[in-house]
Amino acid sequence: MSLFFQSLVLGVLLGGLYALLAAGLTLYFGVMRVVMIAHSAFLILAAYLAWFFTTETGLDPLLSLVVTVPLFFVTGVLMQRLLISRLRPATLTMMSVLLTFSIALVIEGMLGFVFSGTQRRIRLPYSGESIELFGANIAVVKLIAFGLAAVSLGALFLILKMTQFGQALRATIQHPDAARLIGINTDRIAGYGFGLGLATAAIGGTALALDSTIYPSLHWHWIGPLMAIIVVGGLGSIPGAAIAAMLLGLGQSLLQIPLGTTWAQTIFYVALFATLMVRPQGFFGGRLAQRF
Amino acid sequence: MLTKGMGLLVLAAAVLAFPSLAPDPFILSVGVVIMSYAVLATSWNFVGGFTGYISLGHASYSGLGAYGTALLVIHTGINPWVAMILGGLGVAVLAVPIGIASLRVRGASFVIVSIAMVLILLLVFQSWGEVTGGSNGLRVPRPFDESVLRPEQHERFFYLHAALLAVALLVWWAIDRSRFGTGLKAIREDEDKAQSLGVPTFNYKLTAFVISAFFTALGGGMYALWFGFLDPIFQFSILVGSYMVLMSLLGGIRSLLGPFLGAVIVGYAVEFFKNQYGDTQFHLVAMGLLLGVVVLFMPDGIIPAVSQLIDRFRPQAASIREVSAGELAEQRRTASGPGASTAADPATDDESTDRLSEGVQR
Repeated sequence: MSLFFQSLVLGVLLGGLYALLAAGLTLYFGVMRVVMIAHSAFLILAAYLAWFFTTETGLDPLLSLVVTVPLFFVTGVLMQRLLISRLRPATLTMMSVLLTFSIALVIEGMLGFVFSGTQRRIRLPYSGESIELFGANIAVVKLIAFGLAAVSLGALFLILKMTQFGQALRATIQHPDAARLIGINTDRIAGYGFGLGLATAAIGGTALALDSTIYPSLHWHWIGPLMAIIVVGGLGSIPGAAIAAMLLGLGQSLLQIPLGTTWAQTIFYVALFATLMVRPQGFFGGRLAQRF
Repeated sequence: MLTKGMGLLVLAAAVLAFPSLAPDPFILSVGVVIMSYAVLATSWNFVGGFTGYISLGHASYSGLGAYGTALLVIHTGINPWVAMILGGLGVAVLAVPIGIASLRVRGASFVIVSIAMVLILLLVFQSWGEVTGGSNGLRVPRPFDESVLRPEQHERFFYLHAALLAVALLVWWAIDRSRFGTGLKAIREDEDKAQSLGVPTFNYKLTAFVISAFFTALGGGMYALWFGFLDPIFQFSILVGSYMVLMSLLGGIRSLLGPFLGAVIVGYAVEFFKNQYGDTQFHLVAMGLLLGVVVLFMPDGIIPAVSQLIDRFRPQAASIREVSAGELAEQRRTASGPGASTAADPATDDESTDRLSEGVQR
């Protein structure tokens, strides 16, 4: 029973991180119809930056967020303005996949070049500590990672719902032409949307660096599940992505008991195929997703 | 037409003469690798070139073809060439449900499924050690007996790959000229319009996808028989799939020989890099940069760019020629002149923005 409860809690914690990252992917897709393959590469890049920051300065990796979040936001805006917006509209979806794929390759290659392919891990004074909760042992670092993800998701929600920028962003996602008609500069909003998406990768990467071993090609292990999550949730729907992330994170964690870590990962792909067969627009997406 | 025929003859003669011109077995083996890439890229182009659906995961079909062939030869002991064809057919059957799942919706899901396939298969083939050999790899028996030496093997496999390439090119050419091909190209340019004109878009896409998977699997199977050793990490690698895309894109996905040309250039570059600098991380960076440059500045590829250049010095072609949807949009945009797109003015009146955006939300 306690094993089950332990997996349940770990599943929720993992699902939170998935939800934050999937929200970022959904933002890119929403504003530009871009499937951003490089999202998880930026995630690993942020994890490496956090690791590098800690080993060089000896400070807490969470402090690296002060640098990486603004840096990633600006990178995202520049990427949209300078690269993605240059592609022809007729072939945008396909070509943007290739472009972001090539960015992912460059990041992976550069990480291997600069930091070598060795596996890295941050050693923290509180790395080994854990909290006992109703018989489940929860590592403190996992709780911090989840807290980070939950706070950022909340902030993202508030930005989208409460601010004028958020309204403009949602209008751009829902109907770009209509948004332009009422005077929203959709190009600029799309750039900021991209920056916001990449900022989630910065936060997620730091959270990831807290409790896992990182290496350059790790991003391939993340992109598959994240892609599956956004399809299951319905492409372009942020709440859908968050719900799907929680459910699949829980499912993965629970399946690890009978199946082991490797086979538990297949739940994402099974869910992906099931969704495409049964309900291709995703389970929580609106009409928006149908054509993609 | 005459010049085209002459060009093809010269090309075929050059390919056939290559083994006797190659100075040493190493160069010959590079030639085999390049021909293998050419087969894979041409097979990829059945779906990428005709329908415009870009698959980053065709390595799953070449890998499945390779493992299918190898496992059939090992466990049943049938003729390796029969095994290769059976492997190809098996993959084609498997491609039907995958195609149905990924083609029911438009582009984005297709790409996601193609990547997911490679990741799943890598996972499965690595963990299912009893059957696939897992990470230790799988040794494939040679199709020719021991008396055939290495250089001789390379030469035979060079011709075999060339033959497979010729068949794939012939099928591509036939589709290109058929009604089926025209329908596929209509899907590439504008799927909604194609559908409303009565093109059975889903069936066409699925057929093209299955043909593509079949040839890719044959290419993978032949590679397995030549190389003699399979490791999941190289067979089900996103990188192999992206080589196919880069080669086709660089050469030109709308042209028959585009993928072949791209395979010669990229394949040579890859082998040169490996030979000079070893297997460092740097080849990832080079590959990424090259792909990015091609996508940004030369999405149509070398062959269309060069033929446009040649056409400039020729009298104007009188017959109706194919125009892509992108070109058409560009022509219309320049024809209607500047001032056509002034809709994007930044918002100044906050209140009206608020009120109207509520209407957009529904």
